[in-house]
Amino acid sequence: MAGPRGRRLGIAALLVLLAVAPVLALAPAAPGAVRVAGVSLLWWYAALAAPLAATSLAVVLLVRDAD
Amino acid sequence: MSALAAAAPWLQPALVVALAFRVAAGAPDAPWLALAALVAPLVALLADARPPARNPVTAVVAAVTVTLVLAADLLVVADAATLLGAPRWQGAALAALAAFALAAWPRARRLSPPALAVAAVALLLGPAAIALALGAPWTAWHRSGARPALTFSERSPWVLGGERFARATTLRFAEGQRVVTLAAGVYRVVERDAATPTVREWRLTAGDALTLRPGDELSVEAGAHVRFEAGRRVPGAPASGVEWADAPARGPRLLPVALGALVTMLGGALALVPPARRGRAAAAGPLVLLAATTAALAWGVYAAGVPDLVLGGALPAPLLRLPTAALGARAGVPLALLTGGALLLLLAAAAVALRERLAAAASAAPELWAGIVVAATAIAVWPIDPWRVLTLALGLAAAGWAPARLATSPVGALAGPIVGGVAFVALAALPALAPGAPAWLEALARYPALVALPLGWLAARAMPPDGERVAPGG
Repeated sequence: MAGPRGRRLGIAALLVLLAVAPVLALAPAAPGAVRVAGVSLLWWYAALAAPLAATSLAVVLLVRDAD
Repeated sequence: MSALAAAAPWLQPALVVALAFRVAAGAPDAPWLALAALVAPLVALLADARPPARNPVTAVVAAVTVTLVLAADLLVVADAATLLGAPRWQGAALAALAAFALAAWPRARRLSPPALAVAAVALLLGPAAIALALGAPWTAWHRSGARPALTFSERSPWVLGGERFARATTLRFAEGQRVVTLAAGVYRVVERDAATPTVREWRLTAGDALTLRPGDELSVEAGAHVRFEAGRRVPGAPASGVEWADAPARGPRLLPVALGALVTMLGGALALVPPARRGRAAAAGPLVLLAATTAALAWGVYAAGVPDLVLGGALPAPLLRLPTAALGARAGVPLALLTGGALLLLLAAAAVALRERLAAAASAAPELWAGIVVAATAIAVWPIDPWRVLTLALGLAAAGWAPARLATSPVGALAGPIVGGVAFVALAALPALAPGAPAWLEALARYPALVALPLGWLAARAMPPDGERVAPGG
């Protein structure tokens, strides 16, 4: 069971995942503009890596938290 | 409530099409908005399931929020009507009638969650079909990001028969262009080839032409019908593929605007997405949210390959026009119909969910729902930007509704929305009250929830817990 503490940690992790996107985009020297396999790091992160991580985390917490 | 049903008030057609549109247009905020559209409701699903408050303030805020969210959806349908050549009011009125009837149908509440899942899967079918012809989304992104210039193709509807603008807009021309008007109207040109700009206003009839030079600006009315030249740069579009991929506006100065958008989305989700039942079935909620946001992103990336799709300002254009532009009429028309059907299904599920949220926070009276549908329809008749209306709704919900969910006492659940709501209204009115306000206040005027939500949250938490549980219902 994940419990309230697990949920709170999960929410904090989701907020960190969300906050990284503007940091990548807006930081000086634009690290998000670096191309990886033809696509910018920002888009790999915001469109693939972070959504998959966030959804997996939410699914695990919602499923394990059942009474 | 199941997680899938809880996600329904969030997955509005206006949100999905606005994300696709902003990605296609190369908007600087598109990446984090797309991520926030997924993460914000996930946070709300995981947040504490404390019985939320029901008081007159949250009831009023909920009613206004639901009206604005529904209006944003109806504005999208009105935009779609423009794309089909029909008057805006017809699209808005038909969709409003359907939304009113469906939300009043007793069985709709049970059918709405599966309908939402079907709509999300159907939205993914379009990009999947286009991927078979054009390659994976990352291939399309790479191709769009490498274009030297974004120009009108010879097969563009803007070149062949002309197209209509969904709302009034100002176009900036990077190179010379001959624009032929296909409907009578007033066209305003600002020439910037001298130290002092020259403003000329023309009342033109169908068939008249305007010759524009590099640097000129052309202001057109909503519904203006014009034709452009093939091979010329699309006015208002990024200068090149590199600019589309890495918007020059992105930089540290955009940080307040980015924070404002994230706070607005998070607060809006806390208000709109209620706590859900845990368990194995709860996985459906996050998975459907992932499917819908992924579909919106994929539509946007493929639509970026046809830069004039977003020129008219109609938000559903990337989803409804891209299939024909990418696959031809034979395969494209059925795909566009399928996507349009998916958006209508999404609207139906969203309307049912919005009425449930309204009933929980304010009242289940049919008269209230009828009044809200009428008010939303009246807003949707005007050519307003649906994204602006949606962000206003989410911001108001974040400032005046979410603090009630974060409160620990009934007094806090009343104080938080009052403080947050008043701060939101004051900041939203800032451009009108103080037109000469400094530029750094722009982020606050655009996303008032950036300050209003924390103020509301502080007020809600500052009230002493009185040991009583807040009245259940909202």
